[in-house]
Amino acid sequence: MNQTRILLADDHTLIRAGLRMVVDAQPDLTVVGEASDGREAVAMAGQLKPGVVVMDIGMPSLNGIEATRQIRAALPDTQVVMLSMHSDEGYVLRALKAGAKAYLLKDSAEADLARAIRAAVAGKSFFSPAVGQVLLQDYMRRLERTGAEDSYELLTPREREILQLVAEGKSSKEIATLLNLSVYTVETHRAKLMQKLNLRSVPEVILYAVRKGIIR
Amino acid sequence: MNAPEPTPPSGKLRWLFLWVSGLLLALLLGSGVLVVRFLAEMRTQELAATRALAERTRALSGLWLSIQSYDQAVQQFVAQTAADLDTEARRRLDRLTLEIDSDFDRYPSVLDSQEAALLNGMRGIFSQQRTLYVTILAARPAERRRQADSLLARHLIPVQKQILDWSGKLQVWNGDRLQHADQGLVIQFANLQANLSRVLAIAFGSGLLLVLGSMAYIVRLDRQTRARYVDLVRSQHALEQLSARLVDAQETERRSISRELHDEVGQSLGALLVDIGRLSTALSGDHPEVKAQLDNLKSVAERTFQAVRNMALLLRPSMLDDLGLAAALEWQGREISRRSEMEVSVESESVPEDLPDEYNISIYRLVQEALNNAVRHSGARNAKVVVESLAKSMVVRVADDGRGFDPVRSRGMGILGMEERVKHLGGTLRVESQPGKGATVTAELPIPARGTV
Repeated sequence: MNQTRILLADDHTLIRAGLRMVVDAQPDLTVVGEASDGREAVAMAGQLKPGVVVMDIGMPSLNGIEATRQIRAALPDTQVVMLSMHSDEGYVLRALKAGAKAYLLKDSAEADLARAIRAAVAGKSFFSPAVGQVLLQDYMRRLERTGAEDSYELLTPREREILQLVAEGKSSKEIATLLNLSVYTVETHRAKLMQKLNLRSVPEVILYAVRKGIIR
Repeated sequence: MNAPEPTPPSGKLRWLFLWVSGLLLALLLGSGVLVVRFLAEMRTQELAATRALAERTRALSGLWLSIQSYDQAVQQFVAQTAADLDTEARRRLDRLTLEIDSDFDRYPSVLDSQEAALLNGMRGIFSQQRTLYVTILAARPAERRRQADSLLARHLIPVQKQILDWSGKLQVWNGDRLQHADQGLVIQFANLQANLSRVLAIAFGSGLLLVLGSMAYIVRLDRQTRARYVDLVRSQHALEQLSARLVDAQETERRSISRELHDEVGQSLGALLVDIGRLSTALSGDHPEVKAQLDNLKSVAERTFQAVRNMALLLRPSMLDDLGLAAALEWQGREISRRSEMEVSVESESVPEDLPDEYNISIYRLVQEALNNAVRHSGARNAKVVVESLAKSMVVRVADDGRGFDPVRSRGMGILGMEERVKHLGGTLRVESQPGKGATVTAELPIPARGTV
């Protein structure tokens, strides 16, 4: 059986123990190592080459975001599931920019961890439902208070389709194949929708999609 | 905590200065008055002396003229023979005699014995002359003519000469007296000069004392002031350092409590939640009542977890350590937008990275304070946080559209605290606001050179 190999990185033994039990309860997942800070996580990931690293954000010596950046740069096949206490978009966006695929809140980690790991392995994004809620609330409140118009309404159906696929982590080539379009056309749609929504990077597109509840 | 109340300069000394200055002024004033009065007096005396001389001279010459006229009249009388003219001539002589008497009487009241002697001598000679004339006048005209020449030669001319002598003497005496008066004036003047010199010497001496005393006093005061200024600056500096240390200590304390809450309490709760979740999954419908209790337990643990997390964040925003200042400011803006009616926008793209922690926390607290003030007091609907990087400094600006205030009059502890932090980093804080026009807090901070702090 082809099990997904997992590295746990958290500076708290109790949390690591809890997470290990959750992961080990899944037949398709196995914990291959535990790191207690960011630096150790980077080193162990280099040795073990795990499929997924479950990474806490707040860690001593090297925080989870920086460790994620380094791991993703060194090991493109290793996905990162970020664990955090915060549902704030500052964290989410930075985690995404560093290369994390999934973002889980610690207080709901137990329920969603296995799903998040599986989504990450499949190259898909995953967020704790609470994160999506917070992001959406912030977004709606801002629209309401500033009287700005929801730029999502400006998108064509095709652009919305492509937005969702980009947010799910698909490349332009994959999208082109999926929608039976040329890569060039997909790129054009993509550029246009990002311009309309004032988004500058794929992580921002993902964040936007989470915020709008397009993906979760 | 500082030196005891500084002693004020001694009151006695002040009184002494006052006294000496007063004395000096009185001396100068007194001698001035003295001189003026003396000069006036001298002038009066001089005038009196001159007037007396003029008066006497006039009286004397009047007398002299009267006597001359009398003599002439006598000579004419003696020389003429017509009997019919006798009566008139006699009458004229009588009149002249009266005139001379009155002239004598008119002579200014006699001053001393010498003058009296001179005058009496003259009067005596005149009466002698008159007695002689009376004898002559009693003779008949023919006899008069015969005796005339001898009479004139023997009696009249010598008497006239004598009178002339006496009046000359009187005149000389008068001249002497003027000179005498002048000499008196000279002596008085010399006295005045001596007195004045004495007074001036005293005034100069006490003035010198006063000046020296004042100078010594001023030097002492100056030294004291300098010492006090140095003390003041030193204690101000100490105070600033103390307040900076307090701020530092507070931050350190907050950070350690926050860590403690986050690491110990938070992580234990997190682990608890994971365990409860696993337990709940393991039960999977076997014991619904136990599962309900577990769910209840879970929600309590979740709430506690949230509370602990919020407390820890309030004490020390972990994003400051995890994500840096820009992210922390953005988070802060969103937090306030969530909690309050005020929408905060944050422009933090140009926040310099790798700022020393001291800067991060100070700027964070500054923005926090400014935003909290806006929420609490201004009723603002919107606030904007902008961080700009300049060549050698950075500017942090927090502006709101609230009801504003008068920054001169209402200077709360919040602004003081912000000022303290900014000053500690060598920057300046500006608070601009007008009632009804919102408020802007601007801090300009020098960017530290790399490797320092």
